[in-house]
Amino acid sequence: MEQDLELLKRCLTGDNSAWETLLRAYTRKLYNLCYRFTGRTDEAEDLTQEIFVKVYQTLRTFDAAQGAFSTWLNRVARNHLVDHYRRTRKDRVTSSLEDELETLEEKPSVGTEAVGQVESRERKEVLQQGLNRLSPDLREAVVLRDLHDLDYQEIAQVLGVPQGTVKSRINRGRLELARVLKRMDVMRGPAKAGSEP
Amino acid sequence: MTHLELENLASEYLEGLLEPARKADVEAHLSECGTCRELVAELRGVMELCRTAEELEPAPWLVPKILLATVGARKPTLREQLAALFRPAVQPRVAYAVAMAVFSFSIIINAAGINLRNVRLGDLNPRTWVYRANLAGHQLYARAEKFYYDLRVVYEIESRFRRLGSQPSQQEKEAPKQGPPAGGSSDTKQPGSPQWAANRGLYLAACSLAGTVPTPSANNPGPLGAGRSSSQ
Repeated sequence: MEQDLELLKRCLTGDNSAWETLLRAYTRKLYNLCYRFTGRTDEAEDLTQEIFVKVYQTLRTFDAAQGAFSTWLNRVARNHLVDHYRRTRKDRVTSSLEDELETLEEKPSVGTEAVGQVESRERKEVLQQGLNRLSPDLREAVVLRDLHDLDYQEIAQVLGVPQGTVKSRINRGRLELARVLKRMDVMRGPAKAGSEP
Repeated sequence: MTHLELENLASEYLEGLLEPARKADVEAHLSECGTCRELVAELRGVMELCRTAEELEPAPWLVPKILLATVGARKPTLREQLAALFRPAVQPRVAYAVAMAVFSFSIIINAAGINLRNVRLGDLNPRTWVYRANLAGHQLYARAEKFYYDLRVVYEIESRFRRLGSQPSQQEKEAPKQGPPAGGSSDTKQPGSPQWAANRGLYLAACSLAGTVPTPSANNPGPLGAGRSSSQ
């Protein structure tokens, strides 16, 4: 955290190398957050870039007293992603079914890849499809908690809601995701494994 | 505890965030309710699936693209600028040309007699350069000439010439006693003539320098005289 603050100070003095260091440190996390929200790599790249541009332009508004830089970054990202979600809601309704069909059709045969890789890839795709079917509120809560490993307090800061709401959203999001995945018939294995003592 | 209550507490139960009393209630309900057990198992499966999901690697051009969009084209560091500046000079042909230029310059400076540590106004006059170069050339020639004449070989040859040059005068002294040859002509190939003696001396000197045995022939004024071989 102190390293981030030091880099931020240097950024504000016009040190481009400090900005580059900061950028490289957080690009992967932010890109994954965007991908979990959108489910598309190209869209995630564009959103990651837009968010970093916004962060760069508003660096001076960051207040270290209100939390860590990573929390502030997540909050900016979350607001941008929610805005993006609202902007593209209509487009997504029409294209979601087509994307889903394309994803299923483009799967290569098992013979071309190792079984473990196929399973891993399929699990990733299934998880992403399940996340895409959640409402944004529930999705962002689940993504921040289970995929980005933020604690409840941090998520509350990022989302700007009380911790009780965060807990509720996470719980509802997980339950909803479990139902979705069950409908997609992929949770049979993990669910059974989890139920065993 | 009702099913709905358990559903609301399921995540906290799985994350170990419940108080002991609440946790005991949940476990008691789970031991009796198969539906809720299945629900908790599904929830555990979801959490496991999320936490084992691998992170995606962003495209390698993403960071440069963002840098370009934020700070513009990245300014090269001083080291990179210097490297770019001297990159052409590192090529062999340029280095060779520079070396030749320096070498030529040093020769000109040396020939013009200019001391770079103490350059005077007169040193900048081209006429001075020509004069000094001319002087240096003559001095160099004189030194080379002196070196040449100081060589032992040259000295030997010269001394023999001098000695041979003095021999005809003695023969000339003896010649009036014996009388001139028939016809009174001074044939250069005639043994005993001054010219023949000079040629013979030159021949002997050359042979001794070359370290070879002289081989006389009819046209050659050998040491044993014309018409006689060395083996006889």
